[in-house]
Amino acid sequence: MTTDEATKSEGEVQAAALAERGEDITPARDRGVLKIIKRPGSEDDLPMIGDKVYVHYKGKLANGKKFDSSRDRNEPFVFNLGKSQVIKAWDIGVATMRKGEICYLLCKPEYAYGSAGSAPKIPSNATLLFEASKAGVELLDFKGEDLFEDGGIIRRIRRKGEGYSNPNEGATVEIHLEGFCGGTRFDCKDVKFVVGEGEDHDIPIGIDKALEKMQRGEHCVLYLGPRYGFGEAGKPKYGIQANAELVYEVTLKSFEKAKESWEMDTKEKLEQAAIVKEKGTTYFKEGKYLQAVIQYGKIVSWLEMEYGLSEKESKASDSFLLAAFLNLAMCYLKLREYTKAVECCDKALGLDQDNEKGLYRRGEARLFMNEFELAKCDFQKVLEVNPQNKAAKSQISICQKKTKEHNERDRRIYANMFTKFAERDAKEAASKTGVEKAAEKAACEKGPKTAGAEGKEAEGHV
Amino acid sequence: ILEEADFKGEDFNLFLVAGQKCLEDGYAAQLLEVIQNEKNKVIIKNMGWNLISPLVRCIFLYEQEDDKREHCLKILDQLAQLCNPKELFLGLLEQIEQTSGEQVCQTVLLLLQPLQTVLLKLQNKKAYSVGLSLAMIMNQLTPLPVPYTKQQIQEDKFGLCRCCSAVVDFAKPFVNEVVKNMEKLPEYNDTELKEELVKFCMKSLKYPLLTAQLEQLEGIEEHPFRHFAAEIIDILWDIKELMPLVFLHRNGKSSHWENQEFADIEQKNFADSLACLSYLMFVHHFGIDNFPMVFSPSYLLQCNMTHIEVLLKRTEESVLSKGIDLFESCLLRMEDNSLLHQYLELRDFINVPQDLVKVMTLCPIEHMRQKSLSILQLFIDKFDAEGKYTLFKCLLKTSNHAGVEGYIIKNIKDQIHLSLTKECDNIWFTGHHLISLLDLVLSLPEGAETDLLQNSDRIMASLNLLRYLVIKDCESDNQTGVWTMLAKIEQNFLKPLHVGLNMSKAHYEAEIKNKKENRKEARSSNTICSLTVSGEKMPAMTTEMQLQVLHSALFTFDLIESVLARVEELIEMKVKAAMDENS
Repeated sequence: MTTDEATKSEGEVQAAALAERGEDITPARDRGVLKIIKRPGSEDDLPMIGDKVYVHYKGKLANGKKFDSSRDRNEPFVFNLGKSQVIKAWDIGVATMRKGEICYLLCKPEYAYGSAGSAPKIPSNATLLFEASKAGVELLDFKGEDLFEDGGIIRRIRRKGEGYSNPNEGATVEIHLEGFCGGTRFDCKDVKFVVGEGEDHDIPIGIDKALEKMQRGEHCVLYLGPRYGFGEAGKPKYGIQANAELVYEVTLKSFEKAKESWEMDTKEKLEQAAIVKEKGTTYFKEGKYLQAVIQYGKIVSWLEMEYGLSEKESKASDSFLLAAFLNLAMCYLKLREYTKAVECCDKALGLDQDNEKGLYRRGEARLFMNEFELAKCDFQKVLEVNPQNKAAKSQISICQKKTKEHNERDRRIYANMFTKFAERDAKEAASKTGVEKAAEKAACEKGPKTAGAEGKEAEGHV
Repeated sequence: ILEEADFKGEDFNLFLVAGQKCLEDGYAAQLLEVIQNEKNKVIIKNMGWNLISPLVRCIFLYEQEDDKREHCLKILDQLAQLCNPKELFLGLLEQIEQTSGEQVCQTVLLLLQPLQTVLLKLQNKKAYSVGLSLAMIMNQLTPLPVPYTKQQIQEDKFGLCRCCSAVVDFAKPFVNEVVKNMEKLPEYNDTELKEELVKFCMKSLKYPLLTAQLEQLEGIEEHPFRHFAAEIIDILWDIKELMPLVFLHRNGKSSHWENQEFADIEQKNFADSLACLSYLMFVHHFGIDNFPMVFSPSYLLQCNMTHIEVLLKRTEESVLSKGIDLFESCLLRMEDNSLLHQYLELRDFINVPQDLVKVMTLCPIEHMRQKSLSILQLFIDKFDAEGKYTLFKCLLKTSNHAGVEGYIIKNIKDQIHLSLTKECDNIWFTGHHLISLLDLVLSLPEGAETDLLQNSDRIMASLNLLRYLVIKDCESDNQTGVWTMLAKIEQNFLKPLHVGLNMSKAHYEAEIKNKKENRKEARSSNTICSLTVSGEKMPAMTTEMQLQVLHSALFTFDLIESVLARVEELIEMKVKAAMDENS
């Protein structure tokens, strides 16, 4: 018997065992995924939906041919559970596993790649078998889902929502929430609000952001870092200190989506633009810049790419866009996101190249980014537009002062560098004068070349 | 062996001048002898940078079989062994930098081997130097045209194909070095050389691979670009960067680059390279052996959508076709009706079909237009009912092309047919959801003033749909809801269509009359305007041709009118029948 045949029959035996003794773990009870536990897990906790899970596995086709193994790659396979990232059989199967557990899975095509198969390895209507002498599927570890990959919001889903649709920015949501800080509950309420405007109800921005990733009926726990919580200001109303970490339990009871840009006609967009502009300004005045950015951002997303406007509409649209970009720039200045501020100013100036506010704000942003010359240009242009602008005048002198300081600092640094270079060169020269001399003489013939090479070496050092 | 101390400054100069003279006067054999002489080892050590330029010039002077060329090559070899690596490295790089045009590949092919030897000997800044070399080589190659047809590939006029495979060989020892270091220390975190290699791979994916023809070609056993692609992917796999790159966008940021600047550039510049990488993996299955086979097809599609979007935005056939092929390969992994409508909430899923429509309507290459149409149909087929519904709505609103709109309307008709004939409960293509869709379909964009000729495809499809609804759905059943909105249809669609038809027909008939009368008089000066198509001036239309066009327009109006009449007749009949039944 060849090895091939051996593995084949071995595979058949195991497949038969699974078919016979395997537990049907499909919700539909249609024996589409059968499981045998080879080694029970060490802990009682099951991974929750959305959790980042780490598994090792080895997969075979019914004919015994191995189609994939994470062990061959020498690194565990990582995915988010219950998010349709993997074949159905896996979302179902791994959800039943405990940390450290090893199990065998037999998956019918309806729970794998179906009639389409997956070129080039999985043929049409293939039953997949996850088993091997050592490990079929092993759950190594799992942890909460990091919603924005920055550790700022960790979610663990207690109960999965229905369907797949999420509230978008501007959607009206009805939620139940409980807020905890350091083990004490500080908030508990049912509330209805518009995503992006949670602040009106003393709800931190992290909840707004997380809601955009939740589904109807979902119940989850959210761990918010300070940036997504009440930040530096804290929340005196709830007795919450600056930079506190928060835990929220949120249930999304229902929501109504805001229209997507392409679902709205121009008239509607212009009407809505007026409304959100007001809202944005209110937030801005209260110092809630993140919330203001959301409102102004809506105007941009609705109107920036709108074509085929009548003359009147296009005028209105441009004035909304200009205001939105200028205000966004201001918000980003406050949020210390200077690159974005410059971008917004550029766009505003694209609409109105002599816009005083646009030029001034770009100047400010550039000043913060230490681009003194460019900043100075901007402020000078402000003065060309409006010679009365005193603020711009004083900014120019600040620019000049900073440039000077900067230059001096540079000079000091370079001075040090040059002394060091000189010292080193002197040493080198001493060690191989002979060569140098020869090269120098050669230079009479090929002068420019030597210079080129030195230039390159210098580049190499920088 | 003569030691350095034995030489005076003048000796170096003398040696150098003599060496250069030898080369210029064709005494390469003699120079080779001198260089091979053990005694001269030390003095040669410092000659590399100076001798390399005349040497390369000489090599290109001699014919392929010339003995002198052979001698020169041997000299080059010797220099690589003997000279100060740092100096020779700069000399070699300078030679590569200075070539241009047809000589680029020759020079690169000639100097890769010594360059590799020298780099391997370098003690300091090796990673930086390897990176600099690879970047320089790729930059020099980039202006060369990429051979596309089989003939061009076989001819390999500029030597690009040979160069690519040589460059991979050049990079291999450095790849091995990284691999070895990683094996030795799993935590090995000296990413410098690795970063340089990744940059090289990314660059290669963008040029030449993105524009290269990568289909299997009959009669070419070792397709040079397929070979190159496989090697590049192997390199990425070997240095364990393949998977992170394929799933870069999934992780949002690639945090393992220390250098933030690099990470930013990577995101922007590498979009093309990453798209090409995905194309190679999913369409041509390069490196797929190492790819996890447990992802769901819909997730793979989702991951690839960004890449498809990047590729479809381009206009070159070679790139565009890669986008279409990648899209197709992702869709073919899916079962019909299995794609959930929620995916349409992702921006790419709305953007890509719109880009596809642009290809369908604007691309000058016919088979691309056809292929993209079939892919659009495939995409539609994969969605669940609500997804199809939303997609139709979006495309109707955004396509701005009567032909596409007509095609979508035909699709709507097919879906209604399925809902009516199959027992399955499909709420999206019956009842109130359908009404809101029909609202969009059964109307004239600009009322009676709509350009009927321009919109004829759409209008015919709408009329056909209406005719189908009226025949298939009885007023008593009213499953589709068409009977409820009849008054609105008449107001928004049928009536303005009548008015529009009458106006258009009158206009065109008057125009024909005009033309016929003017025919005799204005023979000479009948060019009103001229038309240029891709720079070529089209011949002016003769009056005969103009008449022909006008007649064919009239014919279209007649066609619309006859279907319109038939639809109205059917409606009347059905309404009457229903009234008779009731009384």
